[in-house]
Amino acid sequence: MNRWRRHAVLAGLAVAAFAWGCGPKSVSTDPDAQVLVVLLPDKETGTTGKVVVSNAAGQTELSTPYSSTRVRTRRVKPAARTLKQDDVNRLFGEVIATLPPAPLHFTLYFRFDSEELTDESRKLVQEVLQTVKAQPVPDVIVTGHTDTTGSETSNFELGLRRANAVRTLLIDAGLNASAIDASSHGELELLVPTTNDTFEPRNRRVEITVR
Amino acid sequence: MTGRRALVASFVVVAIAFSTVPAIAQTQATPAGRIKLASGQVFVVRGGTSTPAEIGQSVLQSDTLRTGPDGRLGVTLRDDTRVSLGPGSEVRLDSFLYTPSEGRLSLVLNFVRGIAVYVSGKIAKLAPDSIRLETPGAIVGVRGTTVAVQVVPR
Repeated sequence: MNRWRRHAVLAGLAVAAFAWGCGPKSVSTDPDAQVLVVLLPDKETGTTGKVVVSNAAGQTELSTPYSSTRVRTRRVKPAARTLKQDDVNRLFGEVIATLPPAPLHFTLYFRFDSEELTDESRKLVQEVLQTVKAQPVPDVIVTGHTDTTGSETSNFELGLRRANAVRTLLIDAGLNASAIDASSHGELELLVPTTNDTFEPRNRRVEITVR
Repeated sequence: MTGRRALVASFVVVAIAFSTVPAIAQTQATPAGRIKLASGQVFVVRGGTSTPAEIGQSVLQSDTLRTGPDGRLGVTLRDDTRVSLGPGSEVRLDSFLYTPSEGRLSLVLNFVRGIAVYVSGKIAKLAPDSIRLETPGAIVGVRGTTVAVQVVPR
């Protein structure tokens, strides 16, 4: 009986030590932390999304700016409470300021069967370049697209020529080539769905992600 | 006797369950994102090894981001999700899958301690139910949003 108990205690200790050694892996069984969750308005759009905070006892929805919930134990359902903006900034201001700039997306349009930009899109190039320069470590993803005029193969190549034209623009503006990922989706991802062999200016484009 | 065996067996099951989690998580090596901002002491813990982090460095699924008492860290993931950490903080990227063409989308962030801010990206737009922000004691589900989290271990 004594031996039994000793073994059980030792085994228990071993598992506890192992679980503790795993650190964060034991989170699901560890209520020993105080957690504060605060919903913030999106900096770029000014709108506020929605979160649902749940624990074993239940859940609460946060959907207004600076609404928050504090979770101390798994036995009590999280309760919502709105914090003062000043208090939130005091606690999180520095971390909010450490967020990288928001990734941005651009679409540049091209002339028919050509890697030459439309006049309107040419005006947008400067804005793309400024966005790239605002990123501390830019990653630029450039994807070329075409309309459905011509064969799938020739459109893949046209899409690639368009992507490479944008890539050249960026490199000429001083961006490191290794930061740019240029590829083609040809006529496979239409912005405006059409049947085959359809002339559609809005599908002749390069999509750019700057992050 | 049988009671003892059952007890030992259940411990073994628990131990195996714990030990296999990191092994599964480490099999994927496509970069999930990059470190865009860093100051002070900042680290990436990968496969149990902690190394000083640098701006521009890749972040992989199952990496842990950690900051020292003066550290700050800002990361952008491939789906435009952004995460920043304040001093004395730790956040683990438990899961990151972003292959929209195949519908494979998943993001699980584990806020272990300290303070951090999360800004949702494309996964939140395409598949909000596949996002989980985990903390000790509570799970946060998001619908396209900015969330601040503080975890104070007792």
